[in-house]
Amino acid sequence: MALPLGALVVRAFADEWRAPALVPQDLGLRGVRLAFTGEAASAFMNSLEVALLTVAVALALAWPAARALGERRLRRPGPVFLLLAAPLLVPSYAIGSGLNEWLIRLGLDGSTLALVVGHLTFVLPYTIVVLLSGFGPRLTALEEMASTAGLSPVRRFLLVTVRSAAPTIGAAALLGFLVSWSDYGTSLAVGAGQPMLPLVLLPFVGSDPQVAASLSLLFLAPAVAALAVAVRAGRRPL
Amino acid sequence: MDARGPAVIAAAPTRRRRRRRDALAVVPAALVVAVLFGGALAGAVRASLVPLGGEASLDAWRGLFAAPEFADAAWFTLRVAVMSTVLSAVIAVPLALRVRRSGPFVRSLLALPVPVPHLLVAVVAVLWLAPGGLAERLLGGLPFTLTRDEAGLGIVAVYVYKEVPFLLVLLLAALGRGHSNREEATAALGLTPLQRLRWVTWPTIRAPLVLGCTVVFAYVMGAFEVPLAVGPTYPQTLAEYAYASTQGDLLAGQATAAATLLITACVSIGLAVIAMRAARDAQGA
Repeated sequence: MALPLGALVVRAFADEWRAPALVPQDLGLRGVRLAFTGEAASAFMNSLEVALLTVAVALALAWPAARALGERRLRRPGPVFLLLAAPLLVPSYAIGSGLNEWLIRLGLDGSTLALVVGHLTFVLPYTIVVLLSGFGPRLTALEEMASTAGLSPVRRFLLVTVRSAAPTIGAAALLGFLVSWSDYGTSLAVGAGQPMLPLVLLPFVGSDPQVAASLSLLFLAPAVAALAVAVRAGRRPL
Repeated sequence: MDARGPAVIAAAPTRRRRRRRDALAVVPAALVVAVLFGGALAGAVRASLVPLGGEASLDAWRGLFAAPEFADAAWFTLRVAVMSTVLSAVIAVPLALRVRRSGPFVRSLLALPVPVPHLLVAVVAVLWLAPGGLAERLLGGLPFTLTRDEAGLGIVAVYVYKEVPFLLVLLLAALGRGHSNREEATAALGLTPLQRLRWVTWPTIRAPLVLGCTVVFAYVMGAFEVPLAVGPTYPQTLAEYAYASTQGDLLAGQATAAATLLITACVSIGLAVIAMRAARDAQGA
């Protein structure tokens, strides 16, 4: 894992690295410069914006559902789980191009809303499935104790519920973010040419490996940062 | 008078109200998924039948089954998906049994590729395994080609690297303390290691393994950034074929693409239904 990724870092900063040399002939910042200008730079911001918005909406929608499912309060949860599993079995490109049929008619194709809606289709199920593992009798008992101790509902929510479920919330947010961040098919279908990081990165793999490597490091950065935050917040790995 | 009477009578509507509230809690999320997913499927069906500015027809579907490129893409995709899924499972199961007693450090290390995007692994694979890549420079030549090879082995390699850790996480979650206790108990009863594998471990890991393999298979069937980065130019995967047809013919291409993607989705869903049923039947037996 470390060796292949280390090579990626070297590749990103190698202005010249022709075969069969094992070390680059010339180091430089050409790749980084290209990765931070023009379409690539806006792609990074677009991907970040869409991923953050998608996760925020997904968490808000997932919360009540995950509580009811996690505490086994539903009499027949089977159909709900079946519904949640369905989008994960269909190609993300299919979801994107199917949705785009309607988005074009609504004049929304290529908008941030279109991208968020497209990503939400499969980010939401992932978020619910991870989030529901944080709820159960242990948390309910803690909340009852807090109520008995006289905590107001708001303080109880912030100090007990969110605090106890923090590792799971972190894991759900991280997974949702990464699924949206890495998505290729849906963004391609509903983006109407809007630059997104994976879409901008791919053509460089064949044409300019240095730019591809620099963009790959950008592509990896939030994953590493989010992972570090989630591990610290929950003090347990994904 | 029975002292519990009024309490029981009062509890009934409360319970019913609570039931309704619990069901309502799921509604927003379920509704969003149902509308978006249903809308996407309906949109794809519509796109496959009504080309832009044209009248409804089955031309796209007919053309698809007549095109040799589609048949090639279907076989290629199916082969890559089966190879990736089977290889990942064959590696992940023994690995999970080997490391299940290891500490959190080893487990985290093995789970490290899970959050790394597929496309990133593909970029690294090209950097190392392409002709003139680092592996060739180190070894002075590779006995095989793994990028842009017609058998799609490069695609399989990238998927196996990504999916083994994913399956491993699912399997290790199932092989928790409950399983260890059961295994110790059966060891005390004098079961041989092979019998324990058959009667204790296999029933424990079967459900998560089937679930994980279904997700992996569906993902490989539908994703196309990895084939675009490391796969051959021909044959294409079904998703690549769908995308290529939208680039070739602007009017009929959308319909061909939608029909191709719907077939891909049907294969994945059909297989998932069979797999889940098989896992459940085996559980009940």
